[in-house]
Amino acid sequence: MDTLILGLPVAYYIAMVAKVLVAFVFVLLTVAYATYAERKIIGHMQVRLGPMRTGWHGLLQPIADGVKLFFKEEIIPSQASKFAFLIAPLVALIPAFISFAVIPFGDSVTIGGYTVPLQIAAYYDQAGKQVFDVNVGVLYILAMASLGVYGIVLAGWASNSKYSLLGGLRSAAQMISYELAAGLAIISVFMLSESLSLHKIVADQAGGAWYAFKQPLAFVIFFICSLAEINRTPFDLPEAETELVSGFCTEYSSMKYAMFFMAEYANMITVCAVTTTLFLGGWHGPAFLPGWFWFIAKVYFLIFLCMWIRATYPRYRYDQLMRLGWKVFLPLTLVNVVATGLWVMFISK
Amino acid sequence: MLGAYLPILVLVVIACLFGLGSVVFSSLIGQKKPSQVKLAPYECGCEPVGSARERFSIKFYLIAMLFILFDIEAVFMYPWAVLFKRLGMFGLVEMGLFIVILFVGYVYVWKKGALEWE
Amino acid sequence: METIAMPAINLAVIMPEILLSCIAMVLLLVNVFVPGNNKAYLGYLSIIGLAVTAASAVGGWGPSVSAFNGSVVQDNFAIFFKVIFLISAGLAILISDRYMVQEDCNQGELYPMILFATVGMMLMASGTDLMVIFLGLELLSICLYVLAGWNRDNLKSNEAGLKYFLLGAFSTGFLLYGMALTYGATGSTKIQAISSYVMGNPGVASNPLFVVGMLLIAVGFSFKIAAAPFHMWTPDVYQGAPTPMTAFMSAGPKAAGFAAFIRVMIFAFPMLRAEWSDLLWILAVLTMTVGNIIALSQDNVKRMLAYSSIAHAGYALVGFAAVNAEGAAGILFYMLSYAFMNIGAFAVIILITKKGEVNGNVQDLAGFGHKKPLLAMVLSIFLFSLAGMPPTAGFIGKFYLFSAAIKAGYVWLAIIGVLNSAASLYYYLRVMVFMYMKDPEEDFEWAGATPAIAVCLLVAVGATLVLGVVPGTVLELAQKAVQF
Repeated sequence: MDTLILGLPVAYYIAMVAKVLVAFVFVLLTVAYATYAERKIIGHMQVRLGPMRTGWHGLLQPIADGVKLFFKEEIIPSQASKFAFLIAPLVALIPAFISFAVIPFGDSVTIGGYTVPLQIAAYYDQAGKQVFDVNVGVLYILAMASLGVYGIVLAGWASNSKYSLLGGLRSAAQMISYELAAGLAIISVFMLSESLSLHKIVADQAGGAWYAFKQPLAFVIFFICSLAEINRTPFDLPEAETELVSGFCTEYSSMKYAMFFMAEYANMITVCAVTTTLFLGGWHGPAFLPGWFWFIAKVYFLIFLCMWIRATYPRYRYDQLMRLGWKVFLPLTLVNVVATGLWVMFISK
Repeated sequence: MLGAYLPILVLVVIACLFGLGSVVFSSLIGQKKPSQVKLAPYECGCEPVGSARERFSIKFYLIAMLFILFDIEAVFMYPWAVLFKRLGMFGLVEMGLFIVILFVGYVYVWKKGALEWE
Repeated sequence: METIAMPAINLAVIMPEILLSCIAMVLLLVNVFVPGNNKAYLGYLSIIGLAVTAASAVGGWGPSVSAFNGSVVQDNFAIFFKVIFLISAGLAILISDRYMVQEDCNQGELYPMILFATVGMMLMASGTDLMVIFLGLELLSICLYVLAGWNRDNLKSNEAGLKYFLLGAFSTGFLLYGMALTYGATGSTKIQAISSYVMGNPGVASNPLFVVGMLLIAVGFSFKIAAAPFHMWTPDVYQGAPTPMTAFMSAGPKAAGFAAFIRVMIFAFPMLRAEWSDLLWILAVLTMTVGNIIALSQDNVKRMLAYSSIAHAGYALVGFAAVNAEGAAGILFYMLSYAFMNIGAFAVIILITKKGEVNGNVQDLAGFGHKKPLLAMVLSIFLFSLAGMPPTAGFIGKFYLFSAAIKAGYVWLAIIGVLNSAASLYYYLRVMVFMYMKDPEEDFEWAGATPAIAVCLLVAVGATLVLGVVPGTVLELAQKAVQF
């Protein structure tokens, strides 16, 4: 049974491929139906019906959209930098999808005597006791999140269109500004968890000891910054239809446009998953349902929250947006780090 | 252990295949009727004026530079945060000083108006 | 839970650096919080800060104290150099305000920037770990790049800043690469550890890794002290940079380069003195000769002084090549006197030039001796000292450097040095010829000296003459400083 490849049993590799495929398909479906859910939810909030024609209550709408985009004409503007123009959507999409690798979406399941942790980049040791996962999982996620900026800047620049360039620049400035505040906000979580491993962070939050309760300020700041980092309303300036005609993706059509769209939704799912993991106790929940159910429920609730915010709030003005990031969140996060340090050192002892 | 990183590689490969595949597929089955006007950059229906590759506001450079500065400081705090309890009082005081110095720079940048957008 | 062992920390050893950094940071904030365009008060506050720092530094005079696991040391050698840096920073600050107002670039950040540069120099002098020396060098260099391009509306100043930045970054790369190779060959970046490794393994001297590493370190430092053939940046940068900054750059950072150079070469590679010596011999001769020969044909006084500063680095290298205590003490003394006489000469030039440095040529000095006899006499004293004439500090400095070379058996090196000095007389005297023997072409528009510049001139002249007439005490201190 125990044939080892690179020091790991064959079962590990089978489980790994299965996990990768399941997660990938799941995310893909969630992306597709998030677009549908968004149109439906916002429609109902605005006393409209949303899509109704394609299938029962428009349920086949995402598939129809996908097929339509496949058949659309591919336009590459004559003045565009071809290679960069073609590569940009991929640069935006791929990091959005691969961030999931380190997020634990459940504790573990036992199949045929082999224990599989529900986290793509993780495995149990031979005794089946200890989970090993990427011990710098948070850094990995932050790195992937930063890579997405390249796709957008590249798209804006390569299109050789004024709207795209402005959209791309705005987007880059906005994303890096909020990435900073988000990165500083979660430092206080690591101060409590003493680890960058997401598995360890979730394990620490067992029994309802969510970091959202211990670090409410960090939670709120991180979630808002994440919204800004993925260009969601009220921070969707890069796309600003009214002034920049979709910003960085003005010149894109067909599947390449769809990729930016998918990247945005995939990023939204990632961000909600990371927030769940870091602040909302990950897979922990009442024991009558499995861990992965609670994880998905929490993620879906956060996704709903994003859509709710979009239906409710107007768009920020650019100077307000930058002021919020640099002049409010940045100092607040620094203060939070210091306060957490003092709390742990003097009071919680 | 390196084994934990293997799934990431698998996922990268799958994501790349998916991305490339759908782009290639759609460009194969999509229609193609290019025309000069269609391939021109979008400018609200008017003839495009000049190139888009021109100078833009210095503000973006400033933000980028500030980001680099503060992000490096932030990354410096990550290992400290993980070891923070073990480093004890010494670590807290050292990081307090570090944040104070960071804050001096921040206040300076703020007062200089590098964070204003008008 | 395992505990983490803390390194032994002795903050007293780096107290001068800490003090000056704090003062610079406070001034940075004061500058943005106090409204108004008059930034002179920042200069005065900086001078007070420098004085406090100097007091703190001098307080450590005595036996050496090493700290931070041997990364920094507080010894007389470092303290002597720190005093040189602080003096040159102080003198440069004194002559800054008027010039910066005249050229419309008196942003208050100037003073914190100079102070941060000084902190970098002090770290270079007291660092006994290659990484600390590198950090100090970077802190110094980055501030200097900015200072060289301070006059943003002046193309020449922009050019100076950019050139200095590009070439400086390049040379820093050399230096860092050399340090990396040395680390690879000896297994440590601590100078003490490198030294004992070299003592224990004489075979390392033929290890290509080690030899290339040493050479790259030498190249990096040669760039910083503007030794030929790594001097190319000097004339353009010195001419383009705002004059007070040129004065500062030619005195402080050059001394800092020598401090680190001596520390690394003499402490870390003591077994290899013979190899060093030959290398430095060539470097010294080249540097002196190139600097002096090109200076002969310069009309612009700033540019002429830039080339002369290359030549002076060459004279100091003569003492270095001797690789003995006299030579090292000679460098210390020479750097101190050079700070006084060179910054003094630049101070006079600041008084003469109008906005945009339009009249910075030798010809513009025609008749200056008759119009402003006192100032002309002061400038003459500085030029005599630069040329190495008695009874000035320059003479005593050169005398010690050359006699150290002779003691070490480098008679020819000393002779070349003396010949070079003689050649340099031509271009220094040429300035005096114009001042005293030509008639003025037009009337001087005299803006008048500010009290700050007057103080700077007084101090510089006084020091140049005192060091020239009664050098005993300072020389003794310099000799104490190099008793390793």
